[in-house]
Amino acid sequence: MKPNDFYSRFLLFHISLFTQLLTAQMVVSGTVSSAGGSPVEGANVYLDGTYDGTSSDVNGKFEFSTGESGNQTLVISFISFETFKLIEEVEKMIDLRIELKEDIGALDAVVISAGTFEAGDNSKVSVLKPLDVVTTASALGDFVGALQTLPGTSTVAEDGRLFVRGGEAGESQIFIDGIRVFTPYTASPNNVPSRGRYSPFLFDGITFSTGGYSAEYGQALSSVLLLKTIDEPTQEKTDISVMSVGLGLGNTQIWDKNSLSVNASYFNLSPYNAIFPDRNDWEKPFEVMAAESVFRRKFNNGLLKIYGAFDATNFELTQEDINYEDGLHFKLKNNNFYSNFSYEGRIGDSWKLFSGGSFTRAFNDLIISDQLVENIDNSLHLKLKLKKRFNKHIKLNFGAEYFYSDFKETYAADNITDISYGYNNPLGALFAETDVIFIKKLAAKVGVRAEYGSFLEEFTLSPRISFAYKTSKNGQLSLAYGKFYQQPFQDVIKFSDKMESPRTDHYILNYQFSYNNRIFRAEVYRKNYHDLITYSDDLPNFDSDFGNDGKGYAQGIDFFWRDNQSLKNIDYWVSYSYLDTERLYLNYPYSATPPVVNKHNISVVGKYWIENWRSQVGFSYNYGSGRSYTNPNKPGILQEKTKPYNSLSFNWAYLLSQQKILYFSISNALGFKNVNGYQYADRPDNGIFDRRTLRPAADQFFFIGFFWTLSDDGRDNQLDNL
Amino acid sequence: MKKLVLLLIVTVSIGTQAQSRFEQGMQKAFGLWQEGKPWDAANMFERIANAEPNEWLPPFYVAQINVFQSFNEKDEAELKAKLKKAQDFLNDAKTLSPENNEELHLLQAQLLTCWVIFDGMKYGMTMSPKITQLYAEARKMAPNNPRVAFGKVEWEIGAAQYFKQDITPFCDDMKNALALFDSFEPKGPFYPSGGKEYAQQTYNRTCGSTPQE
Repeated sequence: MKPNDFYSRFLLFHISLFTQLLTAQMVVSGTVSSAGGSPVEGANVYLDGTYDGTSSDVNGKFEFSTGESGNQTLVISFISFETFKLIEEVEKMIDLRIELKEDIGALDAVVISAGTFEAGDNSKVSVLKPLDVVTTASALGDFVGALQTLPGTSTVAEDGRLFVRGGEAGESQIFIDGIRVFTPYTASPNNVPSRGRYSPFLFDGITFSTGGYSAEYGQALSSVLLLKTIDEPTQEKTDISVMSVGLGLGNTQIWDKNSLSVNASYFNLSPYNAIFPDRNDWEKPFEVMAAESVFRRKFNNGLLKIYGAFDATNFELTQEDINYEDGLHFKLKNNNFYSNFSYEGRIGDSWKLFSGGSFTRAFNDLIISDQLVENIDNSLHLKLKLKKRFNKHIKLNFGAEYFYSDFKETYAADNITDISYGYNNPLGALFAETDVIFIKKLAAKVGVRAEYGSFLEEFTLSPRISFAYKTSKNGQLSLAYGKFYQQPFQDVIKFSDKMESPRTDHYILNYQFSYNNRIFRAEVYRKNYHDLITYSDDLPNFDSDFGNDGKGYAQGIDFFWRDNQSLKNIDYWVSYSYLDTERLYLNYPYSATPPVVNKHNISVVGKYWIENWRSQVGFSYNYGSGRSYTNPNKPGILQEKTKPYNSLSFNWAYLLSQQKILYFSISNALGFKNVNGYQYADRPDNGIFDRRTLRPAADQFFFIGFFWTLSDDGRDNQLDNL
Repeated sequence: MKKLVLLLIVTVSIGTQAQSRFEQGMQKAFGLWQEGKPWDAANMFERIANAEPNEWLPPFYVAQINVFQSFNEKDEAELKAKLKKAQDFLNDAKTLSPENNEELHLLQAQLLTCWVIFDGMKYGMTMSPKITQLYAEARKMAPNNPRVAFGKVEWEIGAAQYFKQDITPFCDDMKNALALFDSFEPKGPFYPSGGKEYAQQTYNRTCGSTPQE
């Protein structure tokens, strides 16, 4: 007997002698099994607040003795099961038969996946990893570019924005930390793709929803893209980038519970254009100055993030144009300021509060031929949201938000007096949504959103509902339905308030199978468009007769397959989308397929890690079937199709050391001669409208970059001094 | 008077008994662990953690066992479940422990290392800097803690090997870290104190010779 044991027994003996505290030892026994009846081995079985307990054996049996008596709480806990508690007299805790319930929050529980792609370390089913944004060959570091390899998107190479399931780019909204981004894309000339404004390194979670999304998000007919910024930077560091198109510098500082990251970059395409001239005649090649910063502060119960970004873009060029012999002169200055704050914190055990807001000031100064357009857009978004978790089965999420836009534009041309116009557009919304997990296999999300906009004097109500059911250990089926409203775009409401918001109804059925680093998804959908905007003229203007007489549909099927397991050091994914859509809107005389739509889209992305070269090489292949265009020499509209689009891109990232990366990429390596469409002359010549082919400004694009991170972790010599 | 003495005895003995109960329980748990029953030990530590809500060591050891048992886990679901449990108990330990506890930083770094080992492509980029930072902070708090010093250099060697860099300079650091085990005094009873054997084996395997004393 160890001295300690002796000592305590001696004391116990004394206590019992004097006070008779000690009662007889009782035995607690029983069996633990899972819901299926199979025994659970290794479960921790004990009386709450005491040391008395044991682990269940291989048959799920347990037995231990205790000095406790009377009413006690027996606790049985085991990983992946809900903790079981029994309040009972110890004397009666004999031969217990206990069935543990599986923890519905566990990894293999059902998740609602209809219409949603998630990327991130934390999501249960992640189709993209955060790093994919920068290692996908065709993405060129643009987060939007990486998403364009997912199904549900269309290949509109000359635009660069997201086109989802037959919707226009403006039908997709982007949110950073739950707060709306009003101007997510950089300015660019016609036929040159724009890019996402924000650095992909800021985000550690991306959720891309191609339909049926939560009632928390509104004012989007087709899709939402939710970007979550990094909660806490990991280390103090300085990042230096030297690229063939510019320079970048970043720094992160951490002190106590605060951290600050600052990034600045300068891009200028003059040297690049001098070496690789493109089809445009640049007077002032593309120049962008950008700076962004994030401040984060941790509180005991929450986290505050403040984000601010400013960028200034300018360029001037003359583009070939069939109606102007000397080409079309175009000059642009764009300044964009975006700031966003968000606070998320816990209140007590089961409540969570989120509040946030953003302010955007976007300024454009354009010269198109000899017309001057100057506009300024001040926009605001505020949101307050509360989350209540009742238990593991029911969660409630509700809140209010407010949007405000103040837009002003001035138009000036030689032969007319200056015209100014604009609008103020406040819009308020309330939303509530509940998540119900009935059993581990079946979950539902039911929500509703109400909006009132005083500019259009319009009230809308949008119900949303989705279900998910696990069909097998690794497979599940999801179903979603919802109504979605979005106010008409700026290009028409700046001229009139005599319109209503167009609406879509989404119906989505999704099957997902994921097993051991492989994911397969198939999704069929139908989207009905109602009250689309129509107008009488070629282009909307003051005199146009606006209405909501349009309608349309989009339907199709998407497939996705990603496999990171079968081939050693190879990670690849394949997306295929079939899209059938027609619309009657704008000034269309009848329903037709809009020019931004490909019927078939294919993306194949592969990444190969070469251990010995410390290199990752990758490729992306994108295919988009022909898009419609109008040939005025024939009756009707949008009656012809371009040839299909093809592009194969390569990249090579070479890790010189832990902190130095050399990166090379080439887009359209095989030099496919892609055609984005045709421009026809305004007037016929001998009864025939002449045309020219719209080709990308450059068929290929090369990029070389050197990225160097300096941090204090490299090596320190403290150890040697010991 | 008699009653007062009795009361005094009872109070004092209950106090001492509670103290020894903790010691007894901890000893029993360590005993189970040494017998090669880590999960029984973890359960025992969990029971103590539950009964002694002000002690940081029991939840720390629950977390540590779950982390150590995760290093070679190949099943993603199992790994996630274990590491989630480890993280929960580590968080408990963090709120209970005194400030500047380097052992908690060390364990957090080891927990994240499990993710990196499991899928370097997926977690390496995001977690590696965190791990590096945790070791650096832990070193600042306790420059003479051999486990921190050793863990740090072991992580650095792993990274250097991955990037095909020369590891010779790290071997000197590793030797120095190994030497720290001999002079190290744990801050209190049941504080982490082991690891020398593992360190010696790792050093022999990696750097190929025994250190000079």
